[in-house]
Amino acid sequence: MKADSNKFPELNKTKFENRGKEFKLGIPVTNAITIGNSVAVGFGDGTVRIFRSGQISEVIKAHSGVVLSISKDGEDILTGGDDGRFLKISLDGEINEIANFGSRWVDHVTAYNGNLVCTSGNIVYLWMPNKKEPKLLEHESTIGGVAFDSKGRRLAVSRYGGVTLWKKDYSNKWSSSNLIWKGSHNKVIFSTDDRFLVTSMQENQLHFWRLKDKTDSFMSGYGAKVKSFAFVYDSKFLVTSGSNEAICWPFDGNGPEGRKPICLPYVGNKPVTFVEPFPNENAIFTGLSDGSVFLSEIEKSTNTIIIRSFTESEVTTIAVTEDCSSILIGDIGGNILWTSIWDEEEK
Amino acid sequence: MGETNKQVPVTVLTGFLGAGKTTLLNRILTEQHGKKYAVIVNEFGEQGIDNDLVVDADEEVFEMNNGCICCTVRGDLIRILSGLMKRADKLDAIIVETTGLADPAPVAQTFFVDQDVADRTKLDAIVTVADAVHLSTQLSDHHEAEEQIAFADVVLLNKIDLVDESGLEVVKERIKKINPFAKIIHTTKCGVSLSEILNLDAFNLKRILDTEPDFLTSDHDHEHDDDVTSLSFVSDTPLDMEKFQDWFSKLLQTKGQDILRTKGILDFTGENDRYVFQGVHMLMDASPMGKWPEGKERNSRLVFIGRNLESMNLKEGFENCKSA
Repeated sequence: MKADSNKFPELNKTKFENRGKEFKLGIPVTNAITIGNSVAVGFGDGTVRIFRSGQISEVIKAHSGVVLSISKDGEDILTGGDDGRFLKISLDGEINEIANFGSRWVDHVTAYNGNLVCTSGNIVYLWMPNKKEPKLLEHESTIGGVAFDSKGRRLAVSRYGGVTLWKKDYSNKWSSSNLIWKGSHNKVIFSTDDRFLVTSMQENQLHFWRLKDKTDSFMSGYGAKVKSFAFVYDSKFLVTSGSNEAICWPFDGNGPEGRKPICLPYVGNKPVTFVEPFPNENAIFTGLSDGSVFLSEIEKSTNTIIIRSFTESEVTTIAVTEDCSSILIGDIGGNILWTSIWDEEEK
Repeated sequence: MGETNKQVPVTVLTGFLGAGKTTLLNRILTEQHGKKYAVIVNEFGEQGIDNDLVVDADEEVFEMNNGCICCTVRGDLIRILSGLMKRADKLDAIIVETTGLADPAPVAQTFFVDQDVADRTKLDAIVTVADAVHLSTQLSDHHEAEEQIAFADVVLLNKIDLVDESGLEVVKERIKKINPFAKIIHTTKCGVSLSEILNLDAFNLKRILDTEPDFLTSDHDHEHDDDVTSLSFVSDTPLDMEKFQDWFSKLLQTKGQDILRTKGILDFTGENDRYVFQGVHMLMDASPMGKWPEGKERNSRLVFIGRNLESMNLKEGFENCKSA
């Protein structure tokens, strides 16, 4: 059954679609990571495809199930799969299996300067440079997300009941402290200035801690779980999905407590499913449940342009190349748009 | 819980250790040729499962911060079901095996509470495998055994070759006293037609109308307070909707922890439609389900399964909902 009441107005293809490349692969797009001016995309059949300007690479058969998580270490792609494998893949497609946990999924992967991290169940596995065996950091419950701070000295691990904050001292010893808040915490990120830590929760809300004094509070009012969120423009705003508008919380000064978010509405009034910052600008790309994608300036909501018209499949990933020249959009229906952001004359 | 064709049915297998869950699971997997199943097992499973897609789960029970004191969900199921829904190859069904001591409520509540799970999967049925020889003792010794019977849509009474006829009757009576809805199937070595345990759609409100459960009024002897029992009520006098909602919501708010399951078909004064509902603890799925069939008597029927039901003045509360 499909509700037709809020049907997207009939639109011709956007200029971005006209000048870009569209792929109808029919395989759910699960995630993507930007590496320089290339984008590596993970799929629901375990494959990874690399998009470079003007071309896409061959299909890399990485996992046998779903690519559950993707990250990077320098120029290499890191992936975790529901086949229990943690892989390092070069841009040329060479696969290096770092670990294999069998029927236990590799839920999250991340890295900082050669320190490779994956999680499986309630354990963080951390491979330090030039060490063969990983260090195991155990937690009381299954891990919802992991994130390094910008200097790689702290590793935040979200879980049921809060966040475990691991800190590395100068002799490379890790010790932990706890940030407690009742409930189940999923994805976790540091603000780009490392002052705040934010988690999304099983309930339709986000939680945040100001790290200097460990005060905490929550951001609520969402109609759905907040699955996508990111800091924008030197952490001036935290942009979030989970509503029919992109909700942008002010994180300058002491953070959002007692302040109102900026809410950016979109044509069609469909749920926002993915948000991605426009690098170094106070602007975001917003993907909706009907597949449409917009670019908006946060404090000038009239400045919104449509990048992709609707596909009827929810947007699951948006990635922008490092030089901001190209954007990749992927959705659950396996539709991909890979296009340049600027007109020829704008370059 | 919405209905779309895209929802993958999820069957939950419960039962005490040694009752035969793994035997049943392997039976399902070997007999259903050409179907793609994902099997979610707990880490304490002793025997091997023969399937391409087996996922290890941790049975993590989370409390929800939604002001509902008994609202717990299975966090691992939310994570695994969401992951499975990203697969390129579509699954015909998902089977969740729980540990012998698991309470089925958090599993069932997960399908009410988590929107992503509810959008893409649906709870098909809770199938409880019971050991005909040991069930009586297990029911007396472990409240989990009672809960597994209380939540069951189907009870597979297994190993019947090891008890005599009178012994079998005693066990059956005990099951019926706890759960009058459950369909009891006798088996040895879990030999059952798969159509009796898969694709039952037992949590669909329409099915409550189709199956016409045993809504007989029952007068129970006073049970031990901790025993799980059931009570049912019938009224030929139409109910007052406002009074009913008042009584019922208060009842669930204050006694929801002890009320394990409820089901009902209601006839409200001034309403042409039948109202059907079913609930797990405090969570409720309710909807008008079309007009009363012509020529058929209109009445309200309501069943509770839970603990300490005698102390809740249910009969009086229900009587007070009748339209004056």
